[in-house]
Amino acid sequence: MTGKVLGIVGRVYLALILFFLYAPILVMAAMSFNASEFYQLPFAYSGEWYERLWSNRAILSAAWRSIWIAFVVTGIATALGTAAAIALFRYDFPGKKVLRALLFPPIAIPWLIIGTAMLIFFFGIGLGRGTPTVIIGHVALALPYVIVIVSARLATFDATLEEAARVLGASPWQVTKRVTVPWILPGIVAGGLLAFAVSFDQFVVSYFLSEPGDATLPVLIYTSIRKGFTPEINAISTLIIAVSMSVMLLAARYSNFGGER
Amino acid sequence: MKRLLLAATLALAAQTAHADEIRVLNWQGYGTDIDWAVKEFAEKTGNTVVHEYFTSEQEMLTKLRTNPGAYDVVLVNSAYTAQAADEGLIAPIDTAKIKNFSDLDPKLTGTEALNPKGKLFGVPWTWGLTALAVNTNDFPEPPTSLSVLWDPQWKGRVSIRDDGLEAVQFGALALGQDMDNITDLSAIKAKLAELMPQITTFWSSENEWNQAMASGEFAVATYWSGSAARSISKGLPIAFVVPKEGAVGWLDSLAVPAASKHKDAAHAFIDWMVDPAFYVKWDAEGAPVSSNTKAIAALPDDSFNKKLVADPATVSRVHFFKPVSDADRETYLKLWQDLKAAQ
Amino acid sequence: MASAILRRDRLRALTLLSPAYLWLTVAIFLPLSAMVFFSVLTDVPFGDREWHLTAGNYQAFLETGTYARLLWKSLQLGATVTALSVLIGFPCAYVLAKVVRGRSREALFLLVVLPFWSNSLVRIFSWAIVLRGNGVLDRAVNAVLPWPVKLNLMYSQSAIVIGLVHSYLPYVILTSYLALQAIDDSLIEAARSLGAKRLTILRRLILPLSMPGLVAGAVLIFVPVVGSFMEPRLLGGRLGTYYGTLIEDQFVAVFNWPLGAALSFILLAVVLVILGLASPILRKARL
Repeated sequence: MTGKVLGIVGRVYLALILFFLYAPILVMAAMSFNASEFYQLPFAYSGEWYERLWSNRAILSAAWRSIWIAFVVTGIATALGTAAAIALFRYDFPGKKVLRALLFPPIAIPWLIIGTAMLIFFFGIGLGRGTPTVIIGHVALALPYVIVIVSARLATFDATLEEAARVLGASPWQVTKRVTVPWILPGIVAGGLLAFAVSFDQFVVSYFLSEPGDATLPVLIYTSIRKGFTPEINAISTLIIAVSMSVMLLAARYSNFGGER
Repeated sequence: MKRLLLAATLALAAQTAHADEIRVLNWQGYGTDIDWAVKEFAEKTGNTVVHEYFTSEQEMLTKLRTNPGAYDVVLVNSAYTAQAADEGLIAPIDTAKIKNFSDLDPKLTGTEALNPKGKLFGVPWTWGLTALAVNTNDFPEPPTSLSVLWDPQWKGRVSIRDDGLEAVQFGALALGQDMDNITDLSAIKAKLAELMPQITTFWSSENEWNQAMASGEFAVATYWSGSAARSISKGLPIAFVVPKEGAVGWLDSLAVPAASKHKDAAHAFIDWMVDPAFYVKWDAEGAPVSSNTKAIAALPDDSFNKKLVADPATVSRVHFFKPVSDADRETYLKLWQDLKAAQ
Repeated sequence: MASAILRRDRLRALTLLSPAYLWLTVAIFLPLSAMVFFSVLTDVPFGDREWHLTAGNYQAFLETGTYARLLWKSLQLGATVTALSVLIGFPCAYVLAKVVRGRSREALFLLVVLPFWSNSLVRIFSWAIVLRGNGVLDRAVNAVLPWPVKLNLMYSQSAIVIGLVHSYLPYVILTSYLALQAIDDSLIEAARSLGAKRLTILRRLILPLSMPGLVAGAVLIFVPVVGSFMEPRLLGGRLGTYYGTLIEDQFVAVFNWPLGAALSFILLAVVLVILGLASPILRKARL
């Protein structure tokens, strides 16, 4: 009986948290339909910002560039990060603690400094700038997040399972594929989602390292610091969230990555 | 028929001779990147324009330093011209290539700030003031003195920009000190410390300023004249005030980076940017004051900028500040950070 | 024989680790070492600028009370935001992992991260619209309550904390979920059938088993929040000066990269020391 009550209380709590997480997103979406350019209340409906967005090639191409860069970055960072996390979990070797500690500088040091440092270094070694350089930078920033999150999942993994599989004659690769990865899949998904978020919102690295005219969406938004952005930005953000939400909910419907057993 | 052919070949020749892509480094949304302006320039010269933006003057210099050859036109505030020229980042202007040059205000083209080493290192483009703007709902009668910022009646509804140099300049104005030759910095610090409790937030972008003014959070705040013109044209209930103590004047120039590979096209673009035909159209959308006297004369009589310039009292109160040394900038930043950290 | 296995294991570890760490070396550690070098210079070595080695940038931290005071303020902010996020996020993760069943769990899991596929600046501005006087929150509260209240949270400490908790809450929810979901339900059942009380189960079973996730989430929140500058600047108004904004100013308002770099390495060192000091305690908590 109390279990049932707890279940209801729990669900209500979960709903409240989701409401908190989505509050600014709802406001952002509402303001994309608000007539006032200054986000003034009370609300007055207008489709003007979407119409303007449609003819704003700069925003549309920047958004597209951000999206595909984020996909590439997510793929690379999730693969490399998962491999590293598995190695850190499975093997014992000297210097492991140092390797773990090395994950924190990229998180702790404000990105303005990392971005500036990358700019100087990449120019020093003649890598120059362009989309490949931007991707190199984004992957590096996303990697620590993937490693930490996948490691958190691995910490719950029973290493004897791997051993058992090995004793039964599985090669290390088979163990990884058949035993380890299925178990940590929720961690990999979570890491990938955050890697996408890191890349999609990354400003400084893209700002310093992309070619003129090749701005990403965050660059377009942050460089409008003097004049500020218009609700067109809300409109494109709303569209992106709406589309990704539908894609994700479809994915959730047909796949199993939440770790349900 | 022959003439048509000739014209066609000429046009083609002109296209091939000038089909450059020039890269402009500027603030976003600041004149050079207006769609129609870029399009008209392309129709006239065949050159296309690509933009890159900076978010602070320091970043502009960083980009020039680390990307030699990447840019052809750069916006340089006159306070930074000497430094950029000293470091060899920008080249002297070939005034012969700027057809509109003779119409530019000689006071601006001759200003010391743009002429380090005796040569012009940037074509004066626009200027404006940083002064006060008030919400007309709160101020039926606009204030006349900077002291309104310190007025306890507006406590919690005052804002200034988050910028150490500008804060010190306003402190100097309020105390009657010369902002280029500050004699008593500790008095300015004390004056600014008094201002702190009045302040609701330090603004950093036009958009943030407009939102705060629209929602009634600001009653009085410092603001740029060009932005005020734009906000008024969008229907914000504000009035722009040049206080009797004076206002901070700034001058933006368009310069050509020393390493530019398309100097001719760059000069042509700058020429278009100071052209009255461009400016009159830009002014209607909200712009700072043009350096071109003919462009100002061509404005409609009710234009914000024309009225601003026409008032001799206003013009006499504007103080164009001289370049500030790195050491002074750091001193002012430290002072500003100390004040903010004490909150 | 044993050493042969060990050698083979090390080789495998190297193969798995080197892509990630090589990448980090090229894109982060080498560039940062350039910054470490700058932090002991008087000026950046560009063009014909004069420079020489100095410890002055690090001394400035010790000599000027402002920097240390702001770092302390930022550490407190980090602790507050981390604690709040853990307190709010852990129960949420628990519900997600142990109460919700079936397909909806996958969907909810995704929904937790989705808000972060939007731009942080846009999110902060949206919070401003919610929190300011006469804003969404003020209007909503006044619409519900029969008597008028004036609610203006904007430009305050609370606004900064709300904005930061919002930005970082998903980390702790996700990592805690990953750990909680891994706990076998039969373990909990067994404990219950042996007569353990709910609180005992939570304290002796669930918390220790989910600790790695909880800790990872807390670290992922604490570390970046200490250096944050955008939320404080935009939501904190007059009170929004923190250690992160201090560093930003050295790059944006003036051209003092050496001091900015020195300040950020001090930040990094302090954060690593705190994590180092905390790790035995955290490891103990796992037992």
